[in-house]
Amino acid sequence: MIQPIIKIENISKTFISKERKKLFRAKKRKIEALKNVDLEIYDGEIFGLLGPNGAGKTTLIKCLTTLLLPSSGTAWINGYNLQKHENLVRASIGCMLMGERGLYWKLTGRENLDYFGALYHVPKKIRRKKIEELIELLKLRDFIDRTVETYSSGQKMILAFAKSLINEAPILFLDEPTVTMDVHAARELRSIVKGLNENGHTIVYTTHLMHEADELCDRVAIIDKGEIIALGTPAELKSSIEHEDVVNVEGTIPPNVVDNIRALPGIREAIVKSEGNGKTKLGILCENSRMMLPKIIEVMTANNAQIEYINPQDITLEDVFIAKTGRALSIDTREVVKKRKIGGQSSR
Amino acid sequence: MMKMNEQKHKDLGLCKMSASSNLNIITTVLKARFKIISRYKGALLFEFFIPIVFAALPIMLGTAIAGGSANAAVNFQNNTAYAGNPGTMDYKLYMLIGASTFMTVMLMLWLVGYWIRREQETGTLEPLYLSPAKKIYVVSGVTLYALIRASITFFVSFFLGSLIFGVNPFQGNILLAILFLFIGLIPLWGISFLFGALILKIKEANSLIQMMQWIVAFFMGVYFPITVFPPFLRYIAMAFPPTWMNNGVRASLLNLSYFFGTWYADLAMIFVFGAIVPLLGYYVFLQTERRMKRNEGVGQF
Repeated sequence: MIQPIIKIENISKTFISKERKKLFRAKKRKIEALKNVDLEIYDGEIFGLLGPNGAGKTTLIKCLTTLLLPSSGTAWINGYNLQKHENLVRASIGCMLMGERGLYWKLTGRENLDYFGALYHVPKKIRRKKIEELIELLKLRDFIDRTVETYSSGQKMILAFAKSLINEAPILFLDEPTVTMDVHAARELRSIVKGLNENGHTIVYTTHLMHEADELCDRVAIIDKGEIIALGTPAELKSSIEHEDVVNVEGTIPPNVVDNIRALPGIREAIVKSEGNGKTKLGILCENSRMMLPKIIEVMTANNAQIEYINPQDITLEDVFIAKTGRALSIDTREVVKKRKIGGQSSR
Repeated sequence: MMKMNEQKHKDLGLCKMSASSNLNIITTVLKARFKIISRYKGALLFEFFIPIVFAALPIMLGTAIAGGSANAAVNFQNNTAYAGNPGTMDYKLYMLIGASTFMTVMLMLWLVGYWIRREQETGTLEPLYLSPAKKIYVVSGVTLYALIRASITFFVSFFLGSLIFGVNPFQGNILLAILFLFIGLIPLWGISFLFGALILKIKEANSLIQMMQWIVAFFMGVYFPITVFPPFLRYIAMAFPPTWMNNGVRASLLNLSYFFGTWYADLAMIFVFGAIVPLLGYYVFLQTERRMKRNEGVGQF
């Protein structure tokens, strides 16, 4: 029987957040970031945690990596209890959580790796050898001896990834590792992750890119509003809504069209996947796309929509998310990014 | 069903926890701090001049008010003499010692307090907390760095200041003064934990540091002996370990009185502070850290 290397029992996390009202006034509000999460992650698998920004993925990872104390519940990582053996839990994991922010910008890449290697109790000689190994594996040679402040975003991300491998931990937590990488670098990183997994590492991988999860993960959990709403292999999740078809439509689509399509009998869900430059992408879940297609076109033309592209397609993990939540993941993520920009948050 | 805690653990990869790996954490953190500061060379250089400027202000003010150096020296001796203590005419060295020890105290507090704040802001505090390194070793590396930097600043600015003000730094019992300085740094180590905990809690520490700077200068008697305080304030000042360090260094170099009359009694008192304050400081630091982890986490700033 395969043993769970991570076992999560009923973890909940509640934050007290302050809602700013006026200059000196703030209203305290309880936020339930995680609600009774139960989960088992097996030894040797790549496990994907999917969900929009703010769903609770990072909070769960922070609890599992001892950065946050759960409000209730517990977990075992590599057989060590989260609350009782904090240090052994930390020694069992390699983490890439804050992306490029978790590096010392005034130190070189090599100095950063040496520093974190020491913090992970990697003996000096072995550390030096391991750093050379990582330089070769991740092709860091060209910039490893420059201070990190001179790196591009992609180089910082790859160094942060190298940092997570310095202790060769049995479990790796990778939080959106490809987020600032170009397509080529992201593909390479995914292939390295696969290689690490083949060498026996268990990998917990969070992403909001469904194709990435589809390509990499043995099993995925979709998390939304602090709860796990779906769990299984990508194939299982997709087959769970296989009795439904997906139709993608692109064009100039007036807002009322979505509601009108949703009102058609046989339509399970209609969602705006993306908008921009006057163009809208619609995702429609229905029982039988061949039967529904003429009716969809009829409603759209009756409402003055201009269809540029329409096709029934294979079910993706994004469709699973839509089916489970009634929302599109891409829209959720974009809204969060937009709000952040308006709020003017800066990381440094 | 097999319980999780009965399950075998996979080995921890390259992580080999031992006494020597803990020691290696301290030295690596220490080296990293020096590498980082070496990339801001100007900051190091200007630091040496701060105590000299601090000392120059009261020296010039005193000289101007008394109407010349000789009058200022006599005035100062009259005002620092009390109950069997002859006082000193060497008011320039007196101010320079005060300013240099004050700078040492402030550097210890600043470097540790600001270290936590900077790590928070740059996002490197969370990776520290993710690692299996015990915080005591990481913080020891940082405080050791603060200690070395503060000591270098003390000696450089003290001797450079002596040259500028034309005073003889090689008088009195120099070895005893150094002993007072180093033993006095131990309780400071503990205070820096308390200070670090406070910064972890309140986060934006600039105003706190500004205010602390003047309170510390006032109570440790940077420019005057604390015997000029009314009894109530004097007891408060004496509850603050740097006051003892400052007085010990001055008494050793300028042949002034120790608080308890003998050097060893004063040194014993600093030892007592040194045994209690770091433990208290570390306990408060751990409690604050735990409280942070219960809510927003240590990395939020």
